[in-house]
Amino acid sequence: MSVQGLQEAGMEHDVHLQEMKRVVRRIEIANGFGTALLWTIAAIVTILFVGIIVYLILKGAVYLFNPGFYGTESYGVGSEIFNTFYILIFAEAISLPIALAAAIYLIEYAKQGVLVSIIHFAAETLATVPSIVLGLFGILIFSITFHMGTSRIAGALTLLCLNLPLALRLFEDALASVPVEIREGGLALGSTKWRTIRTLVIPSALPGIVTAVILTAGKIMGEAAALLFTMGLTNPANVFTPDPYIASDTLTTHLYYIAGPGAGASGLTHSQETIVTAGSAALLMLLLLIINIAARTLGRFIQKRVTAA
Amino acid sequence: MQVQQRPQGSYYADRIARVIFLLCAILLVMVIVSIFVFVGTNAFKLFAEGGNLRDFFFNTNWDPTGSGGAINPSYGAGGLILGSVVITLLSVLIATPLAFGMALFFNEVSPVWFSRLLKPLIEIFTGVPSVVIGFFGLIVIVPLLQNLVGNIVGNHQTAGYGWGAATLVLVIMILPTITSISIDALNTVPGSVREASLALGSTPWQMMTRTILPAATTGLATAVVLGMARAIGETLAVSMVLNGHTIPSFNQSPFNIFFQPNVNITQFIAIDFGEAYGAGRDAYFTLAFVLLAISFLFVCISRYLGSRSVYK
Repeated sequence: MSVQGLQEAGMEHDVHLQEMKRVVRRIEIANGFGTALLWTIAAIVTILFVGIIVYLILKGAVYLFNPGFYGTESYGVGSEIFNTFYILIFAEAISLPIALAAAIYLIEYAKQGVLVSIIHFAAETLATVPSIVLGLFGILIFSITFHMGTSRIAGALTLLCLNLPLALRLFEDALASVPVEIREGGLALGSTKWRTIRTLVIPSALPGIVTAVILTAGKIMGEAAALLFTMGLTNPANVFTPDPYIASDTLTTHLYYIAGPGAGASGLTHSQETIVTAGSAALLMLLLLIINIAARTLGRFIQKRVTAA
Repeated sequence: MQVQQRPQGSYYADRIARVIFLLCAILLVMVIVSIFVFVGTNAFKLFAEGGNLRDFFFNTNWDPTGSGGAINPSYGAGGLILGSVVITLLSVLIATPLAFGMALFFNEVSPVWFSRLLKPLIEIFTGVPSVVIGFFGLIVIVPLLQNLVGNIVGNHQTAGYGWGAATLVLVIMILPTITSISIDALNTVPGSVREASLALGSTPWQMMTRTILPAATTGLATAVVLGMARAIGETLAVSMVLNGHTIPSFNQSPFNIFFQPNVNITQFIAIDFGEAYGAGRDAYFTLAFVLLAISFLFVCISRYLGSRSVYK
């Protein structure tokens, strides 16, 4: 090969190298830009979420230190707090055993097949039914067909329908996380299936079960649309009774009414309305935070107690 | 030697427990079936009582009580359905890129300390009661929009309520939902796919956009569908910031329509169902059935997508 030929090849190589470098630069710039974009999105969303939580709590925090807020005066929400916890306990008491039993059937007894698919499909469908539609269903079946009227019991039964799919899924996860050797150990010792479940599987699944109970409690506490018509927006003179047949409002439905359709029509002054709405919103956010922290720490705590034998 | 027999009692306890558990599982199926049956039968009563299917979907005059009995009732839900569709689609359009970005960030980019902060934050935010978000919309988003566009729209008292505010409220509500399902979808892509892409010389960004996202397509689509299902059924938060009683006139700039009081399906059920009676009451069950049918459709789509996904 001549000297000239070699030089030409070298120049060609240089051009090629230049092009490669340009491509690499472009790719790296795209990479840097993309990474920066993801960081920006994450920062914006994080600030938005934290900002909303902090804003709502700060906005209502001042009212939470006023004892009158927890009273039964026109701007107090004492009755609503009582009703919220009443309906929470009522709804959990009827929905958790059913959901746990269904989860035990699906995980421990049922063979994979048509029935299991149907039940899972039903649960998934029920989970996406809008809660306002569940509310209307509750009126039809509990309030009208079963003559419960607008009452706490109608509300609790509607919440049962709302809560079942979530509770079932969380319980199923909890039971599925128990290793199969534990069941085999129980059965090999001659226990019946039910005894194995009762004495071995459920205690092992306890951390998950506790977390599930707390998370469903959060969902029930925040629910309003399903209770709007089944449990009503008004209170009788005395709400502090266990009577399940009286209408009553909760923190959420009361907040909706005062801030929404009842604004200016509820007999409260504007500043009293602010106390009720901002105070209730802050209280609900605080309860939500407490529930989430409890779900985390309690589950972990029980796990330690169970496994550190 | 005598073999100890297992006591008969425990055998029967086992049988009985099994039957009880089965009944509880079947109760769930009965609930969903009876929702369809009860809401459905009441919904279709409307068409026997003077309602008309074409008017229901395409007429925009919703007056199921006939202005309190003064005139013939009219069951045109077109405006309500349009409202629900518009705010649902818009909010999903805005929330989806943000949610996918969050999911990619969480799975691929985020340092450990940030993930530890982000995970509980997303979970907590998923659980914020919708009324509280609605209240936030009322005291922050609506006044903000009022200041921004009040002068353009005119009518300062009511400017700011409407589709625009409802869309933003829905974005806040469905963003954590779509994000957390997207994170699960990206998690199902095996690490070997990432390694293969990086080994071929991809930058992390190329790996994410050309390998991870396509590999998780079905899971991400499921996330969007479930986000839409949540958006279309969302009631109180949307109802509070829509704040309208009629659909606004369409003889104005489309921009203005977005920033004045408007209506959708769930808002009308929430504010008017309580006072409705007779055929007017059945009209609200027809609206509820429309929502039920749409969310059922979304479940079917998400299940279909789930059955097609490569990675589970």
